[in-house]
Amino acid sequence: MTQDELWAQLSAAAPKAQKIDAGVKGYLTVKLAGEDLVKAVTWLKQHGFDYLDMITAVDYSSPVEVKGFVFDPNPNHFLPEGATPQIEAPTKTPGFTYRDAMEVVYCLSSLKDRLKVFIKVEVPRAAASVQSLVALFKAADWQEREVFDLLGVRFEGHPNLSKILTPEFIQGHPLRKDYVHVPDKFD
Amino acid sequence: MTDTLHAPPPEDIKTDEMFINLGPQHPSTHGVLRVGLTISGEMITKAVPDVGYLHRGTEKLAEVRGYHHCVVLTDRWDYVAAMPNNLVFCLATEKLFNYQVPERAQYIRTIMCEMNRIASHLLFFGTYGIDIGAFTPFLYAFRERELVLDLFEQICGARLTYNYIRIGGVMVDVDDKWVAKCREFLEYFKPRLKEYETLLSYNPIFMDRTQTVGIISKEDAMTWGLSGPNLRGSGIDYDARKFEPYAAYDKVKFDVPLGKTGSCWDRYNCRVQEMYQSVSIVEQCFEQMKPGDFMAKGVAKVPKAPIGEAYAHVEGARGNLGIYLVSDGGQSPFRMHVRAPSFINLAILQESLVGKKVADVIAILGSIDIVLGEVDR
Repeated sequence: MTQDELWAQLSAAAPKAQKIDAGVKGYLTVKLAGEDLVKAVTWLKQHGFDYLDMITAVDYSSPVEVKGFVFDPNPNHFLPEGATPQIEAPTKTPGFTYRDAMEVVYCLSSLKDRLKVFIKVEVPRAAASVQSLVALFKAADWQEREVFDLLGVRFEGHPNLSKILTPEFIQGHPLRKDYVHVPDKFD
Repeated sequence: MTDTLHAPPPEDIKTDEMFINLGPQHPSTHGVLRVGLTISGEMITKAVPDVGYLHRGTEKLAEVRGYHHCVVLTDRWDYVAAMPNNLVFCLATEKLFNYQVPERAQYIRTIMCEMNRIASHLLFFGTYGIDIGAFTPFLYAFRERELVLDLFEQICGARLTYNYIRIGGVMVDVDDKWVAKCREFLEYFKPRLKEYETLLSYNPIFMDRTQTVGIISKEDAMTWGLSGPNLRGSGIDYDARKFEPYAAYDKVKFDVPLGKTGSCWDRYNCRVQEMYQSVSIVEQCFEQMKPGDFMAKGVAKVPKAPIGEAYAHVEGARGNLGIYLVSDGGQSPFRMHVRAPSFINLAILQESLVGKKVADVIAILGSIDIVLGEVDR
């Protein structure tokens, strides 16, 4: 199976799916509506894509807020007061669509056909939630927990959606762009 | 007499499940991993791995750093095999920027990754022996690993965190002196590798403790998303070097060792066999390598990436290491995600430990070969 054949078959199985040409370079990137996700992934699993490579999410709201990092913007204490900051806050670049949304990104592999396919589901930031894939792939278990912990996407139907990497006292989801670090007992 | 051992306890003795903490500080967890074990007698009824003690938020840190600075962050994930970490980030960035890497740099990258695989598998070989109770192989493995690290130190000045593979190529070219020293090492190493097998691989006690323990079926290995020797130990042929050849892997010949049953011994043996393959790959690279550039032309000092997304994956020492990069056109990645093989491999522990004896926990945990720096990132 080649990428084009896969897309022809997949678009027949999931009519609402959109192919993104400016997606991940060199791979077929498909955008799905949230309710089609489980159906499309089940179809892919039955057609050779039986290996879940990766789950992650991207917050598209704005460039990262530097207050999310604990240290001050000028960590070099040898510089005089008022020196140019060593770390510059990233600024908005024209041409990129910042929006109040997050994308959950899935990568599935077909070991037989040596193909990878990327699936994207766009969710609003305020109520970020998608269906869990744990019933299809157990590899989704910890990766979904990681995305929940760091980006605050809820995975409906996950048996144990809890924090995994950050400690209990960390408030908020650190990989969201507007995350601001709340000083804790270690600061 | 033996029958009485299996008899149910008398009714006036109270039996209860017990909770024990394995770790966070425990020599055989190879770092700061905590596993909450619930045991009933000698049997494990529940295992809950607890990770995150080493979480440094490298994905967040990358969002305010330039692309060249991010290479430094990559060393800190899998600090036992940092070359593939460098490589995978550089591959993803090069895809994003459309940089063409010179051929000599491709070969040097291949050599470095394979040498690092040898060093990493030697560490596994040594520490796994200790986990099982064989102390001697550890001393031999570390003797040889030291020589590999010396080679790395000579080429880039660092023993573990190399920062050697750079965007567009490598830091410095390898000279004839280094090549000669490396060839000398390979000649020295080949008979040693055979010696290891006589020391540990076919040792009856070692085989008894690993061959029927921790069996992971093909289906389980696939659904849990295992990768690297853990997946291949179960007999599934998935190797990023063959799946999508990168660097110079399409120009060299090598086999992918596969296991049969998916037991701890199979996973162990996959790694040992991979070392033979690595030696052969490095030798082939030396034969094929020609003089030339080691760095691509036109790599910016402060690169601004075009808007887009890229994904690259390599076969690291622990499995399929991937990088997902999103660029908004700025000086630093908008989002960087690491598909960390150790993290995903470790998740199977909560299922594979259940129903096993306490004595086998370390054998199973050790055979998965995790590096906690990569689990927690």
